[in-house]
Amino acid sequence: MTGNKVPGHKAVKLMLLLLAAMLVVAGCGSGGGSKQASEVSIEDRYTPDPETPAWQLDKKSETTELTWYVNADWWNTDFGKDVVTKKIKEDLNVNIKFITGDDTKLNTFFAGGDMPDLLTIFDSNSPVVQKAATWAQPLNKLAEQYDPYFTKVAAADTLNWFQSQDGNTYGYPNYSNTQADYDSGNIPAKTAFVIRKDVYEALGSPDFATPEAFRKTMSEIKSKFPDMIPFGFNAVGEGTGSLGDVLQDFLGVPLETEDGKFYNRNLDEDYLTWLRTLNAVYRDGAISDDSFADDGTGFEEKVKSGKYATMLLDGTPQQGGNLQIFMSANPGKEYMAVDGPHSTVGHQPTLNQSGITGWMISYITKDCKDPAKAIQIFTYLLSEEGQKLMNYGIEGETYKTNADGTVELLPEVKDLQLNNADKFKKDYRMGEFMFFGHDRHKALSKDAFPEAIKQMQEWGKGKLKPHFILENTNPDQGTPEARGLTAINTNWNTTLVSMIRAKDDATFDSVLAEHKAFLDKNNWDKIAEVRSEKMKANKAKLGIQ
Amino acid sequence: MVAGDLDGRIFDAVNKVLLGVFMVIILVPLWNVIISSSSSGRALAEGGFIFWPKEFSLENYRAVFNDSSIGQSFLVSVAKTFIGVITHVFFCAMIGYGLSKQYIRGRKLYVAMGVITMFFSGGMIPTYLLIKSLGLLNTFWVYIIPALFSYYDVVILMNFFRNVPDSLEESAKIDGAGDWHIFLKIFIPLSMPAMATIALFNGVGQWNDFMTTKLYVTNQALYPLQMKLYEIIVQSQTQSMQNIGGSVVIETTTKGVQLATIVITTLPIVAMYPLLQRYFISGMMVGAVKE
Repeated sequence: MTGNKVPGHKAVKLMLLLLAAMLVVAGCGSGGGSKQASEVSIEDRYTPDPETPAWQLDKKSETTELTWYVNADWWNTDFGKDVVTKKIKEDLNVNIKFITGDDTKLNTFFAGGDMPDLLTIFDSNSPVVQKAATWAQPLNKLAEQYDPYFTKVAAADTLNWFQSQDGNTYGYPNYSNTQADYDSGNIPAKTAFVIRKDVYEALGSPDFATPEAFRKTMSEIKSKFPDMIPFGFNAVGEGTGSLGDVLQDFLGVPLETEDGKFYNRNLDEDYLTWLRTLNAVYRDGAISDDSFADDGTGFEEKVKSGKYATMLLDGTPQQGGNLQIFMSANPGKEYMAVDGPHSTVGHQPTLNQSGITGWMISYITKDCKDPAKAIQIFTYLLSEEGQKLMNYGIEGETYKTNADGTVELLPEVKDLQLNNADKFKKDYRMGEFMFFGHDRHKALSKDAFPEAIKQMQEWGKGKLKPHFILENTNPDQGTPEARGLTAINTNWNTTLVSMIRAKDDATFDSVLAEHKAFLDKNNWDKIAEVRSEKMKANKAKLGIQ
Repeated sequence: MVAGDLDGRIFDAVNKVLLGVFMVIILVPLWNVIISSSSSGRALAEGGFIFWPKEFSLENYRAVFNDSSIGQSFLVSVAKTFIGVITHVFFCAMIGYGLSKQYIRGRKLYVAMGVITMFFSGGMIPTYLLIKSLGLLNTFWVYIIPALFSYYDVVILMNFFRNVPDSLEESAKIDGAGDWHIFLKIFIPLSMPAMATIALFNGVGQWNDFMTTKLYVTNQALYPLQMKLYEIIVQSQTQSMQNIGGSVVIETTTKGVQLATIVITTLPIVAMYPLLQRYFISGMMVGAVKE
């Protein structure tokens, strides 16, 4: 028997030896540490000039090959085949190879150390962004060195907003709206309370403003249009659909306390009054249980088929296609925006739009082969010329400029857009290459948004109010507060749904009380403190007292 | 006897009914997928269960096949599955054969090492680094080489080989056969059921795998069908996010494209089952040895 044990011991020894060897080998691998940015000489190419974009000066004859990682699987990786990217390719003499992926792939890129030249990600709160200084090149320095014209086309407010503690700005976002953009009135609202026109007319232009009127109208819809779901809202999923922030914005729930601290808008009395109303509406049978279970696709399909009589809709441009499909198939029944739920204490709506943080954010990495060319791409796409190219193509070829400065697609292009969407997407790709897209330029043309949502955008005029001070105020990832907040958000999601579905007032109250207890248990005070601090920093950046 | 017959018949009847119900439960959703995938976007949007297509349309399939590179992806998929399965089965069989012999030196160590890999793996990022330093990124071989070995499959084969009577090997040796000869001419043919099972497991795995591509491959020419279709699905989902003004004449819905994708990717692998089925009928060993 002992004879059997001996090889066992040997095996263990051998394995330990092997493990040790493996550790030694692994230890010999190259160590980490932040990299030095690569520099290129532009001496024989051009002399930077603050008055001229560098891409017009650059005499580099060979085509620059750049890889651009986009952290989204759905990104169309073609380059140089359609009108928009072909023009970019020609003007800048650049060939871009797009790579797409998700967070997993992004992590492997970082771990593997083979960074692309340019990188676009979507979450400005992510750890990758927070550590940008270790892997990206500062745009302000690149601009100084290679393309001073960049500062003319980039918004100073946006650059300032993204400035990190070392005084540099590493990334530039798209759809970043500044106070000036809001003031200009060129940003259309993206939320609306909508109702089907036929329903609205059949009920004789009913009122939705007060809780009583809202409940009464929903009951009427239920009895007169039994096939429809009287009230719909965006898919809830793991968030709140459009019943959280969006409803709060409709009611004009304050963004901060009177002394400028963080305010828990979820527990606002005005808002809770409306949640009680929704609960009553639910008990009347005018909210379908499906609405809580539907995912995004399920919701969209209901929008497309006009299943909802009214909707509190968030993201009208995103639903534009579905709304248009319903409108085209059912003329006279299209959805229209009306004044929906109003504050019971006299607040005015403070609708939100994309904030100053924007959406996707693009970087030039330290591994970039030709940072001069890369910053030229930024400048080019941010310029008036690039913006128009992205949205409308080439003047004279795909669009014309009217006397009043508005832009109109040429008839044959418009026709293709309406009747052969696939070919339009493939050949023109307008409005899709939006790394530096901006609402300001969308406002230039009637063709930028589908017909179905124009009335909704019109309705929203004057109701927008920036929520800048609340942006990026979540506790930093990895902190106990961040974990607490995640738990609280999840809890709030189920609480909200349970409150609306509560079978009586007592249940409603007890669910709410449970949530309040949950807040206390998860260090809500600390989270609010962190947020108040961050709001203060935001105000400093924005220059508000 | 009569009672026994009756018993048997009742047993059979109950069995048939139960299996019939079970079959319907499985077939109906499959049928629904096939029918839904060949319905128009409008009919699908209206929802409800469908047993016959409400509005027959092949738009969903057209949307999938619209992509000109889909043929190339199909070839990549077929090649990676075919080469992957053959090399995997052969490689695992070789190791399994070796480890099934008690007289192999260091056998216990190898077995122990193998078992450890079944419980612990390096994780995604170390694996990525390994693949990278092996120079496998963006090559076809990233589909084949890392997939060559699976200890689980080795154990199955090892145990199967152990059951082959020693006397078979002895008699072959007496006749002058070498190790290769014995392995190729005696053990492999006798182990077809096990090999076929592993081939099927591995084949389905290879056919369905897109994670490898997602992590290690950026060259579109090397995208297998699954990755291509994955892209088509995510693109159809986000079509509405990229609000191109007014363009709405899209005849398909995300769901429709997804369903068509399911049908397209599943059919080839389903078609493989009947071909492999005959190997699952065991009993080949009977009569090979008289003891």
